[in-house]
Amino acid sequence: MRIRSPKDFWAGLIFIAIGGGFVLLAQQYRLGDMHRMGPAMFPTLVGALLAALGLIVALRAFALDGAPVPRFDARPIGVSILAIVLFGIALQWLGLIAAVAMLVLVGAYAARDVRPLENLAHAAALIVFSVAVFVWLLGLPLPLWPTS
Amino acid sequence: METLSNLAFGLGVALSGQNLLYCFIGCFLATLVGVLPGIGPVATVAMLLPFTFGLGPAPALIMLAGIYYGAQYGGSTTAILVNIPGESSSVVTTLDGHQMARRGRAGPALGIAAIGSFIAGCIATLLIAYFAPPLAEVALKFSPAEYFSLMVLGLIAAVVLARGSLLKAIAMVCFGILLGLIGTDVNSGVIRFAFGQAELADGLGFVALAMAFFGITDVVLNLEHKEKQQVFTSRIGSVLPTLADLRACFWSTVRGTALGSLLGVLPGGGALLASFAAYMVEKKFAKPPRAFGEGDIRGVAAPESANNSGAQTSFIPMLTLGIPSNPTMALMIGALMIQGIAPGPQVMTERPELFWGLIASMWVGNLMLLVLNLPLVGLWIRLLAVPYRLLFPAIFVFCCIGAYAVDNKIFDVYELAALSAVGYVLLKLDCEPAPMVLGFILGPMMEENLRRAMMISFGDPTVLITRPISAAFLFAAVALLAAIALPALRAKREEAMQE
Repeated sequence: MRIRSPKDFWAGLIFIAIGGGFVLLAQQYRLGDMHRMGPAMFPTLVGALLAALGLIVALRAFALDGAPVPRFDARPIGVSILAIVLFGIALQWLGLIAAVAMLVLVGAYAARDVRPLENLAHAAALIVFSVAVFVWLLGLPLPLWPTS
Repeated sequence: METLSNLAFGLGVALSGQNLLYCFIGCFLATLVGVLPGIGPVATVAMLLPFTFGLGPAPALIMLAGIYYGAQYGGSTTAILVNIPGESSSVVTTLDGHQMARRGRAGPALGIAAIGSFIAGCIATLLIAYFAPPLAEVALKFSPAEYFSLMVLGLIAAVVLARGSLLKAIAMVCFGILLGLIGTDVNSGVIRFAFGQAELADGLGFVALAMAFFGITDVVLNLEHKEKQQVFTSRIGSVLPTLADLRACFWSTVRGTALGSLLGVLPGGGALLASFAAYMVEKKFAKPPRAFGEGDIRGVAAPESANNSGAQTSFIPMLTLGIPSNPTMALMIGALMIQGIAPGPQVMTERPELFWGLIASMWVGNLMLLVLNLPLVGLWIRLLAVPYRLLFPAIFVFCCIGAYAVDNKIFDVYELAALSAVGYVLLKLDCEPAPMVLGFILGPMMEENLRRAMMISFGDPTVLITRPISAAFLFAAVALLAAIALPALRAKREEAMQE
């Protein structure tokens, strides 16, 4: 037995895990019966269907040829997620201006060609833009400065 | 006659100074963002959602309609000039449109796309005005069993037309449904799958989800494959097509509009199928059969009018049934829900100013696009030259602020980060996010309708196939699945997707 379609194989496993996970988690709620469906009924049905589909997808990976799993490039996705999380933390404690600065200054490193000076200027421009548009023009309730 | 007076009422709403302004801003911003390379219509609509948060329901909806058309049109511009289809529905436009641009006729290609879209939009708007109300009346008589089956059909149809593996697409729908169930169960009040997080009581944020899957992951994938795209900005020339062009395109536009309007109404149809079908038909019927694929202007006119009329008539299932036929529509429904409106047949009777105002603003929006695009094409083209390294941090800013601003919850920002990671892995494994978003929107509605149907039938699931309309919907869904599983048709489908 050889995995001939690694992409499908892993996708299938993920579906089985998600579907199975939802089914298991759902069991802490009341199942009810078909007449009076409890909160656990529908997630159990759909989760089971998802797991079953995942099983078929994974098993088919042994029979049909398919593409290999592409390389995961850690930098773009990793830096992007880091920048977003930093934005969240900064927004909560330091306000919008610091948050946008963090997001842009760190986020830019998701690409390989970063020009530090340009990045600084870009961050400044985007800070002005988001304050002007989102806070002044649209009146969204975003704290500008640290709130303590 | 009643339709006309309703339309006039709608025009009154849409043409009020304030609404007109919002429609204009929506069109303008969406074209601006939609033109930028690497940002598709779904991402455009998602990123511009925050602009509508502060508005009332009617202006918000009208602005959204403007955003929707602007995004569609912006996609066509990139398709013609850069050969990147912003969305699957403008794939066909790249075939002849980009060839025209290579031959120095980018101007007329852009012009005919705008004119064709405008004509198609006008006709489709009238169709909606005439056909949506009776359909809504029928829909109001549907019992929960029918609704449930209709949603199953809608999801299956959307999946069948999606790219890639059918099984994986259905699995993604299920995943979407499950994600949609996170949060408080309306029936029992139990908070499900929240891992004790109080912030999850209201469910996953739809905006964060859409932005993660269509905004952030898109950026990441673009950064991974850095391809140099050749932009044709030097010789755009006049955007006005010649008289000969217009004469050549007349019937193509008519055929495209007719096909598009028809296919747009089908659940799962929408703009994608419409543009493909229109191009195929054009290849077969256009006389004289000149060289399609080598810069024939009819190869731009037909799919562009078809995808615009299809994009427009896909509002019919959304407005009358509350069922999205594509991810962009799913976003529109999400936006309505943020405004506190449950989409469905009752909107027309309970909020006529919304319904008719929206329909009228579709027409106004189309007109505005024409007025906006023909003179401003030069500006849009210059935007294409913006380097991606300046673009993507701005996308991050829009996505993060947007995700936060829906409910002013920091939690939604972290959700954006987490869902981006999930979306990235799934996309790497060729699992398309579009079916998932549809499932996410429809999941809670499906549960509710199934629950009610079972209540009424005393737990007898056969009610789904003993009620004739419900049975017909389910039969159609099974037939679609069977059709796609047949080897001959499958080959056709793959061929069509390849093209």
